[in-house]
Amino acid sequence: MLAIKLAFKNLMGAGLRTWLNVIVLSLAFVLIIFYNGLMDGWNRQARNDTQDWEIGNGQFWHPDYDKFDPYTIEESNEVISDEIQTLIEEDKVTPLLIRQITIYPQGRLMSARLKGVDPNQEIIKLPSADIRNSQNKYAAIIGEGMANATKLKVGDQVLMRWRDKNGTFDAHEIEIVSIFNCNVPQVENGTIYMDIEVVQEMANLHNQATMLVTSRDYENTKLEGWEFKDLNFLLAEFDKIIESKKGGGMVLQSILLLLALLAVFDTQVLSIFRRQKEIGTYMALGLTRTRIVGIFTVEGAAHSILAAIVGAIYGIPLFIYLSKVGIYYGNIAKASGLTIAETLYPYYSVGLIITSIIIVVVSATIVSYLPARKISKMSPTQALKGKIQ
Amino acid sequence: MEIIRIEGMTKRFPVGNGEFTALKNVDLSIAEGEFVGLVGPSGSGKTTLLNIIGSLDTPSDGTATVINQDVSSLSHKQSALLRNIHLGFIFQTYNLLPVYTVYENVEFALLLQNMSATARKKAVMDALDWVGLTDKIKSKPAMLSGGESQRVAIARAMVKKPKIVLADEPTANLDSENSHHILQTMLKLNKELKTTFVFATHDEKVMKYLRRKISLADGKVIADELMQTEKSKQY
Ligand SMILES: Nc1ncnc2c1ncn2[C@@H]1O[C@H](COP(=O)(O)OP(=O)(O)OP(=O)(O)O)[C@@H](O)[C@H]1O
Ligand SMILES: [Mg+2]
Repeated sequence: MLAIKLAFKNLMGAGLRTWLNVIVLSLAFVLIIFYNGLMDGWNRQARNDTQDWEIGNGQFWHPDYDKFDPYTIEESNEVISDEIQTLIEEDKVTPLLIRQITIYPQGRLMSARLKGVDPNQEIIKLPSADIRNSQNKYAAIIGEGMANATKLKVGDQVLMRWRDKNGTFDAHEIEIVSIFNCNVPQVENGTIYMDIEVVQEMANLHNQATMLVTSRDYENTKLEGWEFKDLNFLLAEFDKIIESKKGGGMVLQSILLLLALLAVFDTQVLSIFRRQKEIGTYMALGLTRTRIVGIFTVEGAAHSILAAIVGAIYGIPLFIYLSKVGIYYGNIAKASGLTIAETLYPYYSVGLIITSIIIVVVSATIVSYLPARKISKMSPTQALKGKIQ
Repeated sequence: MEIIRIEGMTKRFPVGNGEFTALKNVDLSIAEGEFVGLVGPSGSGKTTLLNIIGSLDTPSDGTATVINQDVSSLSHKQSALLRNIHLGFIFQTYNLLPVYTVYENVEFALLLQNMSATARKKAVMDALDWVGLTDKIKSKPAMLSGGESQRVAIARAMVKKPKIVLADEPTANLDSENSHHILQTMLKLNKELKTTFVFATHDEKVMKYLRRKISLADGKVIADELMQTEKSKQY
């Protein structure tokens, strides 16, 4: 109590110097919370979008399917059992049949992935109903990114060549019936969506699928003959990206925090040097050295408390504003090739705020304690004379 | 009753490669309630002796016993406790805490002791009353004159009613009017509270008030005389 009261009086007494330290420290605070809040917001949004567009509450894969190995795709098909058919009708899962194909936009050869999707599904956001609404049996939908890459527009026809399960080549014109906008790159990159029944017929794989996407409320993780891939598995790559982004941000945050801590440290060293007589007086008044070390440590650490308050004064309105209005990423989002919405809404969790406060307060306490330790080696008479170098 | 006893005490300081002997084989006994001055030229060892009595420093040889405690045998904690409870210090430069008000400066000495808030408040106001500063309780030290600052320092030393007050050149920075005022206050407290006062001084104005004058020269006690001055008899 005594130490806290004295600390704040001393800090206020130190005036400008204190406020400079506090402002730099509060910048570190706000930057840490802002950046990590941005990353957390992105993470949440991206997970949500990826679930909406691609993975639902997890996917059941054919045991041989490996998304990095195009050759496995041709072999990774399974008949949709009656049990699964029921689940499909109940809107619990939706099947996808995936094939490697080649298209020839503007006469160029381009290999792509054909995904057969149920036009009636409502589990993923993909506007598969557009396929159903077309008269053309070979109706296809693609994402904006794919449309840009292939220069295909709605109503365009393009030649597609594929092999059936026996390896026999076949080809047909397909028609782009709609182009969708989606911020999950892997959903649209190099991918063409058509009616699953048409794809099954093309590949001669009647009633077969490569994977089943579950709906957001589907909890079961076991289906005979299928391997369940949970969200952690499916989002692992993305989690890694977020981690590395956070790591990258940490460099700047650490530098700023370090600068702020250096300023506090410097202030401590100076104030202990300049206030030897005061320290000697405390000793004469009967304070133990430990107690005096405590007073000075609290005083230094109190910078961080003030910084939290000052940071809150300008940080909270800023954070509330940003989490309402969001940060517009626009074209950068598209160009990045990452799952990122056009407008990011930072997310500030209680955990993030508490962690940041703990980090800043603990580190400020440590840098305040280190110079204060010197006091415990001071002799009272030397301190009173103020002659310690 | 003897409250300070110094026997065969020597204090040496390391200087460069050698040593400097600031006090040489000092013997001294001070009884409770005395009003004593340590006088002597600069460098004669007054501050050094006062520091040892105040358990801020320890003898190199011999013993210093203060309120029945051997100063050299005390741990840091024990000597802090001794100072906190029984010893009051007054410095030439006042040494007030600049961020605290007059009231808080005086109160500070009591905060370490277990005392109810009301008792503490009363003690602080009493102490400020003794030194005649009850109208300045909200002032900060920077706003006070030298004489007022020293009176706050006296109140701070006295508020806990210590057994001994040690004052190192308390009037050196004051003009004669303030010096007299301060000395009179101390004499009054000495009389009313039976507090033992030990001064280090070479101020002639102070000498007039002393009832015992211990003269130091070159780290040795060269004279120890009882005084019968007008001023000291007044009280
Ligand atoms: N820490 C120290 N290291 C070395 N020498 C010291 C130390 N403290 C005091 N001395 C020396 O001891 C001698 C006595 O010092 P002291 O401060 O006790 O003198 P004093 O009588 O109080 O003088 P003044 O009237 O100038 O205050 C001086 O010569 C001083 O230089
Ligand atoms: Mg001296």
